[in-house]
Amino acid sequence: MANHGGGAAGEVGSGGRPLPLSSIPAGDHTVWADASPFIEAACNDLQDGELVHGENFSLFAAMSALEIMDPKMDSGVENSGYCSVEEAIENGAAPIPLSLDRTIDVQRTIDVMDHLLACEATWHKGHSLAQTVFSCIYLLRIERTSSHALLHSYCRITRATCNAIISAVADARTHEEEDLFTMAYGLPLKGEGDEKCLSILNSVEETISRQLRACKAPSSKKKALEDLESLQTNPDLEEGYCRAFLCRLRFRKHFYHVLMCLRKPQGRGLELARKHVASCLSELASMYKSLEFLRSVSYGSAQEDSTTASGCRPVGFDVSLNSKLSAPTPPRAIRLLSWKKAVGYFEKLLHDLNVLCAFTLDPMLEDTLRFVVQFQKSQPDLVARAHLQLLLVQDGKLCGRDFFCDVISKALALPELAKDQEFQKNEFVVQLGQLVINLLKILCTNSAWQRRKLGKILQDWSVISMQLELAFKREFGEMLNVSIDENICMKVSKHLLIWAQEQTYWIASRFLTLGFELELYSPTDYCMVYWYMYVVFVKLLEKMQMRIAASSDNSRRKGKKKRDHTKDSGRDAGVSSSCLLLQCYIFLSEGLAMMLAALCNDCKVFQMTSPFNGEEERFVQHFELLQKAQVPEHISYYLFKDSTLHARLFNVAKHNYFREAQRIIASLKGSFSGEPDKLLEVRQLEQVAEHNRIALNVVNQVGGQDSSLKVSLEFTHHPYFAVAVVKRS
Amino acid sequence: MAAQGAGDGGGREEPVVVFSPSEIEYVSYGGEHHLPLIMGLVDDELSEPYSIFTYRYFVYLWPNLTFLAFHKGKCVGTVVCKMGEHRNTLRGYIAMLVVIKPYRGRGIATELVTRSIRMMMESGCEEVTLEAEVTNKGALALYGRLGFIRAKRLFRYYLNGVDAFRLKLLFPRPNPTFLAMPDKNDSQNQPDHHP
Repeated sequence: MANHGGGAAGEVGSGGRPLPLSSIPAGDHTVWADASPFIEAACNDLQDGELVHGENFSLFAAMSALEIMDPKMDSGVENSGYCSVEEAIENGAAPIPLSLDRTIDVQRTIDVMDHLLACEATWHKGHSLAQTVFSCIYLLRIERTSSHALLHSYCRITRATCNAIISAVADARTHEEEDLFTMAYGLPLKGEGDEKCLSILNSVEETISRQLRACKAPSSKKKALEDLESLQTNPDLEEGYCRAFLCRLRFRKHFYHVLMCLRKPQGRGLELARKHVASCLSELASMYKSLEFLRSVSYGSAQEDSTTASGCRPVGFDVSLNSKLSAPTPPRAIRLLSWKKAVGYFEKLLHDLNVLCAFTLDPMLEDTLRFVVQFQKSQPDLVARAHLQLLLVQDGKLCGRDFFCDVISKALALPELAKDQEFQKNEFVVQLGQLVINLLKILCTNSAWQRRKLGKILQDWSVISMQLELAFKREFGEMLNVSIDENICMKVSKHLLIWAQEQTYWIASRFLTLGFELELYSPTDYCMVYWYMYVVFVKLLEKMQMRIAASSDNSRRKGKKKRDHTKDSGRDAGVSSSCLLLQCYIFLSEGLAMMLAALCNDCKVFQMTSPFNGEEERFVQHFELLQKAQVPEHISYYLFKDSTLHARLFNVAKHNYFREAQRIIASLKGSFSGEPDKLLEVRQLEQVAEHNRIALNVVNQVGGQDSSLKVSLEFTHHPYFAVAVVKRS
Repeated sequence: MAAQGAGDGGGREEPVVVFSPSEIEYVSYGGEHHLPLIMGLVDDELSEPYSIFTYRYFVYLWPNLTFLAFHKGKCVGTVVCKMGEHRNTLRGYIAMLVVIKPYRGRGIATELVTRSIRMMMESGCEEVTLEAEVTNKGALALYGRLGFIRAKRLFRYYLNGVDAFRLKLLFPRPNPTFLAMPDKNDSQNQPDHHP
């Protein structure tokens, strides 16, 4: 049904030949009649461009129609010719053994394993399971492989691994826009015996280890081992093939262990998971090394984008067999990752999981948030992110250990509240606990989705801050004479309010900086973005300092015992370096905003004139969500304009924002010496400050009128603080 | 659902047609005879698959927002749009924009889309949106020049697995002075406003 209105319907009886009525027998209440002449007549009544449609069928609904036989839309149109798995098997598409020649059989088995790995990585990268891993006919009929121990063990553990990963991702629900991932409808994903996959694999591994030992043994000892059959028939290739199998099987084993360890409650398996991660990485390296051997013995020329190490096309795969099981959308173009890229993908995944394993259980909330942000810097894929989320939020508790009300009381530095029933039941605390859970989950999602969600929850945080403030004023507004330590309620309310506001500004800063990573800002907008970042960082620092002042006030009053002092001074140093880092952000964003404003005012660069709107509309659009949530209050385009309108190069240069930032950086280096992540960022910030200071001085000295001077902005040193590059054209 | 294949990205590998801008004729959608022309261009140039019903939905309901560009009788570009209520605002939407490769980089796409946007503005729209592939530098530059901002990134939005940007153009409010008036209740904290 396509092309011209109702025209296609006329083809039913095309050629004037009536359909054989006798072919469809009449039922109890039905008689079949040929409708072609009737439809043809109706078609002739329609003028070109006329449509027939019922009242309940709108043009909008009609858009959901798929055109059958259109290769862009009809996922069934391209196929190999087999209608079913059985038909493919009958026609020899997936033979067992893979060849009667044992050497070729072994070689082809390795190709199947490699191609499956490429499929698995492609699935993790966002394609459907049906069109990747389950394009493997052996996997679709796993029982058939039981006579082929090698293939069977590999298929079993692959399937069990897919299952474990699907359940982790489904449990985490971090896959908001990646829902294709868990779609496994109609696939034989679960089967009896998969729980034994490890023991099956172990026994196969044991056999091959013995075969490897046998072929390496000196001929005098060979006799003792003679009862052991070799892996294949060519003695020269025996060792190479044994090694190629062993690393592949061991990789699967350790990878499965990693997944099992990560799902242990309360992060109890992290340490062991780390060991298995290391083993996985070493097996991946061995797999990579096996490439040379496999290529040398394979026939035909190997291509770079090959899905196997040998470069050969594998037997036993058919993408089209499952196309009817893929999602009810048009088919996605599937290009499988090459085997090399698949190995690279798993290396990255394992490195990400390794970072996760290093997470300190029993953390402060502040450290947890920083950990997640740091974790996201390497842009981990869905599987790694899902596991992080499962670790952080288990049974409504942080790492399955601490209730979030206790996490909050710890963050407030009011440990006496930890087991306080009143505090736990406080409606604000309950709500804030829920907001923290949401926040953690959102921080584990992909950055595109994350930013949108952060923009939305800002509203929630802002509302609860306002409610806290109102409640605080209502209850304590009159009690001016009460001293703070006499009134625990008042103290808690005050601490909660400051803490909630601090989190709100932290979310806002994350929202703004993510925009750079996602490339949402254009150079003409950088000035306003840095200006807004400056405003948010200032508020964040203010709240942070208020919180620190309040809690140190608190501990002083309590008269801490002596032995706590060392611990406290350690924390205090950490706190003060956090404040200093933030102060550095403030100088850099203010410096960049003012430098860009001055460049715009003096040199007329980074300006934009659009036929339909102006800078104000772009400001409103970029910061709509922040403004709606009043983060911060009373910020408007006019305030931005007011602070930037009179920026001049000589003024900005005199102000020395970048020099100030450099001064802070110098003192920060010492305090972060034990923390490589933070030290790295400080070094990046140092570069940003230095380059921008020089660029600003150059432009200032040459003067804004020199039109041969070209200024561009690059993110070569830091993900969201740009560096101005000055060139003469 | 939209896709954009236009802008200044093309023209390097394809033979460039020599023509003067005045030779390009722009026409609003004129009826069924234009439909095959639009479909032909979009099917060839854009990655997303559309059925004939998708085209009908747009051109039947908003014929005034669809434009075609002709050069010596040959259709070389088209824009297809719609408008409607979205969360209590009237919003325009650019669904498809195509200029064939030899004709790119000469302002035809800008002219086509400008005509549609102007119609939307005159019809009372408050904003215009569309999606474009993050890799489509030509389209992104074109819309950037027209004042669109990148409001969101949409993860693996297209069927080919590529991310998209949601682009937005906000029209100025008809009476900004009135709307910018500070609220009397908290005016003491307000920053300076232009009168």
